[in-house]
Amino acid sequence: MIIAVSGKGGTGKTLVSALLVKFLSETNKDVLAIDADPDSNLPETLGIKVQNTVGNIREQLKKDIAAGKIPDSVDKWSILEYRILESVIETKDFDILVMGRSEGSGCYCAVNTILRKIIKDISSTYDFVIIDTEAGLEHLSRRTTQDVDLMIIVTDQSKKGVYTVQRIIELSKELEIKFKDICVILNRVKKEDIKELKKSIEKLGVKLIGTIPEDPSITEYDMKGIPLTKLPKNSPAIKSMRKITNTILNEVKYHGQNPRTH
Amino acid sequence: MFKDIPVDVSPTHEGERIRQRNMFVELAGSKSMGAELVQVKDHVEDGKIEVIGPDLDEMKQGEVYPFGIKIEIQGEKLEEDLEGVIERRIHELSNYVEGFMHLNQRDNIWCRVSMDAKEAGFKLKHLAKALSILFKEEFPPIESVSVTIFTDETAVKKFLQEARKKYEERDARARELSEENVDVFYCCLMCQSFAPTHVCIVTPDRTALCGAMNWFDCRAAYKMDPNGPIFEVEKGEAVDSIKGEYPNVNKVVAENSQGTIQKVYLHSILEYPHTSCGCFEAVAFYMPEIDGIGIVNRNFREKTPLGLPFSTIAGQCSGGKQVEGFLGMSLEYIRSPKFLQADGGFERIVWMPKELKESVIEAIPEELKDKIATEEDANSIKELRKFLKEKGHPLVEKIKEREVKKPKVTEKPEIERPAVPVATTPEMSLPIKGGFKIILKGARIYAESVIIKRK
Repeated sequence: MIIAVSGKGGTGKTLVSALLVKFLSETNKDVLAIDADPDSNLPETLGIKVQNTVGNIREQLKKDIAAGKIPDSVDKWSILEYRILESVIETKDFDILVMGRSEGSGCYCAVNTILRKIIKDISSTYDFVIIDTEAGLEHLSRRTTQDVDLMIIVTDQSKKGVYTVQRIIELSKELEIKFKDICVILNRVKKEDIKELKKSIEKLGVKLIGTIPEDPSITEYDMKGIPLTKLPKNSPAIKSMRKITNTILNEVKYHGQNPRTH
Repeated sequence: MFKDIPVDVSPTHEGERIRQRNMFVELAGSKSMGAELVQVKDHVEDGKIEVIGPDLDEMKQGEVYPFGIKIEIQGEKLEEDLEGVIERRIHELSNYVEGFMHLNQRDNIWCRVSMDAKEAGFKLKHLAKALSILFKEEFPPIESVSVTIFTDETAVKKFLQEARKKYEERDARARELSEENVDVFYCCLMCQSFAPTHVCIVTPDRTALCGAMNWFDCRAAYKMDPNGPIFEVEKGEAVDSIKGEYPNVNKVVAENSQGTIQKVYLHSILEYPHTSCGCFEAVAFYMPEIDGIGIVNRNFREKTPLGLPFSTIAGQCSGGKQVEGFLGMSLEYIRSPKFLQADGGFERIVWMPKELKESVIEAIPEELKDKIATEEDANSIKELRKFLKEKGHPLVEKIKEREVKKPKVTEKPEIERPAVPVATTPEMSLPIKGGFKIILKGARIYAESVIIKRK
């Protein structure tokens, strides 16, 4: 199952992605996290140090090609596949792939088309793939994948937050991405406002899958640079995200799409 | 057939990925070293299998070991030229083995063996056995085959040297591959989302404009996805193999450009040039004043002798247009033996940015190396003409000849005020009503000043 998590910067998108990765891997499933937002820091939030990114690999390959360093009769795409697979960080609980920088000038048609195929093949070896993607969805449409089972839009309770949801829904229709399902998570929300917000979100034709209350320990952990996956069990964010993860797992069961098992 | 092998061998295991969690050992890869090699030999002991160095039962879990696969084949119909193609199949065929993962090629292979396979009693000698059976089955011309696997460090080092020497020889042969000795070219439509009439034709002498796709890459991509944006074009007969005109190519170009482009010369900028996408690595431009061609690469930000930078020149021909006098190209094409051969090849080249010139210097004929100007030598047509005269560029002789032929034309006084070249093109048509068309050939349009206004 491929889950994309999107939202504007600062709405808690990376928190949601990181905790989804944590809880899903606790269920003993194979989980791949993809950081597809150059501005986010999913690896750090998960306590992982990044060595190489897909963006760097792509630039290096382009440089090697321009300098005539790759012999004619050697197939470049297996070099790309090899370097990408090598950059996957494997931990005992989950694996992570970092997309990194976006393109410079010049042609990326060929390399992105092949890249998408490689990432699709890699993704197919996991039960769950969690993609932390930017609000513009550029990464999804051009580099990562065009088949998404569930798109989660994370937003806060500001007026702009609901606009963002609307914009992402519109964008997802314009781009060549297939979403089976779209839902919303409200972050840093006050209890008394939930009912009203739920209404305006459902008006957009998507469902609210869960809410996360304001959690002061997140700011504290972020400031100290402690991975958010280390938050105490009883913290409000952890409790809410565990509930949301269960809802997603139940939905999967309900729809009868069993994730791939080994 | 595979009854001695304790794991399953079948295409269903292709694409199987072994992750660290379920890994017994890693072989070759960037943390160690390794290679694979197929060689055609005269005498091969059929079915011979050998493992030089420790086999899996002598290896420690979680470790990385050096690794080499050498396959020797013999057969009446086998030729050295086939080695590369057959070797490339090691990747696919070794992945048929359950619990064995193989990636990449040559001296960049990376393999893993799974815990499950190891527990089932799988050894590297079984891998060798599976490969020898599969190769004979897949390639009937193979009469006998022997497989040697190396895991001993010294043996792998020695094997690596041998393999690298063979790769070099093979690459030298691949460089010899040309349009004359292949039956198919490839057509790539990957850029059509941006340039709907751009049809990229890739031959052994002509890499795609983006630089990312040479003939071999297209062949690999087509094999990976036969219904994808890259497909084969039967070469067929050539009308003119110097210019690079092939009726089959014209047909494919017309069909895939919605009839917009009817004819293409693969190696010309002046007549029926290839269309340009928008993301080419370099662009060549014809300068009628000198009858020469300049090339500018994307990284060069300054102005060319035309007075225009890369971006403006690129704008003239991008988007799938066919514009005589302008041609987008890959850097690799500049190194091609057929580079613009319809127009005279390097003899017609008069200007390139220094960085570009240095990167293709090997391809420039010795006698022209110092005769092609860079931004350090000339930044205008005037300076360029002076440079070419000083250096005795072969084009200068031709310009002189033409001047001699037309002795009555007295040199016009230069326009006194600094003029801005608005357009320099070997041919352009002016919009005019009433069923007429005015075509200017070899036009040079100057204006004292150019004003751009928002409507």
